[in-house]
Amino acid sequence: MSASSAGPTGTAVPPASSYLDAEPGAWESVPDALGHFGAFGGRFVPEALMAALDELSAAYEQARTDPAFVAELDGLLASYAGRPTPVTEARRLTGHIGGARLLLKREDLAHTGSHKINNVLGQCLLTRRMGKTRVIAETGAGQHGVATATACALLGLECVVYMGEEDTRRQALNVARMRLLGAEVIPVTSGSRTLKDAINEALRDWVATVERTHYCIGSVMGPHPFPMLVRDFQRIIGVEAREQVLALTGRLPDAVVACVGGGSNAMGIFHRFIPDASVRLIGCEAGGDGLATGRHAAAIAGGSSGVLHGMRSYFLQDDDGQTKVSHSISAGLDYPGIGPEHSWLHETGRASYRVVDDTAAMDALALVAKTEGILVAIESAHAFAGAFDVARELGPDATVLISCSGRGDKDVDTAARWFGVLPTDGGEAARD
Amino acid sequence: MANRIDERLAGLAAGGRKGLMTHVVVGYPSLASTSALILAMDEAGADFIELQIPFSDPLADGPTIQSACEAAIARGARVQDAFTIAAECSGRVRAPLLFMAYANTVYRYGTEAFCRDAAAAGISGLIVPDLPTEAARHEGYFEACRRHDLHNIVTLAPTSTSDRMTVNASVASGFVYCMSRQGVTGAQLGLAPDIQAYLRRVRGHLAVPMAVGFGISDRARLEQVLPYCDVATVGSALIDRLAGTEPGDVTGQADTTRAFLRTLTPALA
Repeated sequence: MSASSAGPTGTAVPPASSYLDAEPGAWESVPDALGHFGAFGGRFVPEALMAALDELSAAYEQARTDPAFVAELDGLLASYAGRPTPVTEARRLTGHIGGARLLLKREDLAHTGSHKINNVLGQCLLTRRMGKTRVIAETGAGQHGVATATACALLGLECVVYMGEEDTRRQALNVARMRLLGAEVIPVTSGSRTLKDAINEALRDWVATVERTHYCIGSVMGPHPFPMLVRDFQRIIGVEAREQVLALTGRLPDAVVACVGGGSNAMGIFHRFIPDASVRLIGCEAGGDGLATGRHAAAIAGGSSGVLHGMRSYFLQDDDGQTKVSHSISAGLDYPGIGPEHSWLHETGRASYRVVDDTAAMDALALVAKTEGILVAIESAHAFAGAFDVARELGPDATVLISCSGRGDKDVDTAARWFGVLPTDGGEAARD
Repeated sequence: MANRIDERLAGLAAGGRKGLMTHVVVGYPSLASTSALILAMDEAGADFIELQIPFSDPLADGPTIQSACEAAIARGARVQDAFTIAAECSGRVRAPLLFMAYANTVYRYGTEAFCRDAAAAGISGLIVPDLPTEAARHEGYFEACRRHDLHNIVTLAPTSTSDRMTVNASVASGFVYCMSRQGVTGAQLGLAPDIQAYLRRVRGHLAVPMAVGFGISDRARLEQVLPYCDVATVGSALIDRLAGTEPGDVTGQADTTRAFLRTLTPALA
């Protein structure tokens, strides 16, 4: 069933299974059989992983058309993950910004606190279907690691999470969460000791253990079929949101705005809207200290085409192709690349990408908290900051849908330090 | 002019000998020592020498080569240095030289330019561990290698299915590089338990000679694989021995390398 058949008067959110019912259209031609989104994507991995990627592609092709698989995933998304997540109209925030009507897709309300659960439930069911018993994952901020540990606990799978040593210190609480959920967390001490190196280490583990292990990649990145697979499992965000916005406003939004690190929440909310030519798709990359300082994580705005982590895409790199270290206050966006479908959407012009620096994101976080009573993740705060500009540009007759991809509980420590609101700081001495 | 890899393989076959391929990371322990190590390896009887161009994210490599790459880059090694060193050494050694480079290094340089300049520097073959056959075809890599008389060395792994062996055999040139086990490079982990059956399976698919690498740390392991292959590769074990030397002690590094290789070469006869 096509989700677009429901009109403005529709109130029912479509069943979760419509995430797999991709509507036909030109945008469905990507990726091709080898995983190319135009010039991007593909499979750049050692031969030792090629058979496993073929196996995964075949298993996914079978699963997506198997009613039993779809029903089991739908059941978990509804009864365990808490889908559909609502769309919230942000009235006070809209008034404060003085532009377009702001609507929030509330992935922060999904189980484990972000959209990451959508993807891991799908991949962990696939793992079981392939007869594998061990799941490995990389994590930056810890959200994908926590989600993977959760799904593995639920499905009785062994779980190992690779996390940069630097990040295990910055996100100690999420390390504890993963361990409580029964996962083994391995601090990565190679390279820059952050997300990029955690991915390298997970890939190295996978090469050695591929016969019994599935690598549950957390974003729309990596070698084919991962960018497609993760997009498809996240696509439900946009499928639900499109119906919800139509029901609420009677028309499509004028813009959809999401933050982009690897870009899974953005691909998830964008994908259903790609055929809707009137809807602007806008990704917000992390600008760190500012694009001009070179200390940022904006792969499209400040990077160039390259090959890393199994894919061709945009990366931060020097003239020799050595990866540069990225910088962002948001550990989840602190990655020197971006998923290949985003690079393609950028190159075709179907989506546009903006840069939001640390300060703008933190200001947005504070404003959303005080006007709407929602403490969003710092990652998501980048989307809000970008959306405020978009809302002012489009004016009060427009509607802007924002992907509120995660909740900010994990970021309380960082935010408290940024704004100086810990009791030891003297309370109200906010930094602004 | 024949490719030097072919000449060396023909020589090995004619003499009933097995070959030894050795490995340097360009710029490790220093740029100054790289040339000295290549000359020392040649002198000690290496049949093929791989020059690895250091990359920031060497995902097919274990801790030894990761650290060597990191150190080389930190000490200022550039991609261009690999071409300079190859040009300096290729005329002075008997062993054919190969580049081992990650896909991004080749892509950023430009596939055609990389192959052209490598050939001009006296390189005889390329190993790109994260460029599987399908991607290599898509990049026009095989044509570029052929245009410049470079052998593209394809890799096979224990998990390579029969279909994949057939696909890889169809594009193999020079020799194939068989991973002795699933995993990353490194001397510590040893060989796959079923290595003999696996290498026999590879042999059944291939018309070209077979090199085996990963985990060949000493003469005992070397003797274990030699009956089933044509060329054995020693990489991390050599680099592990350099880790104990002073970075500036070029002579000491060359001596250490020669001494270690001379413990291995008697097994080849």
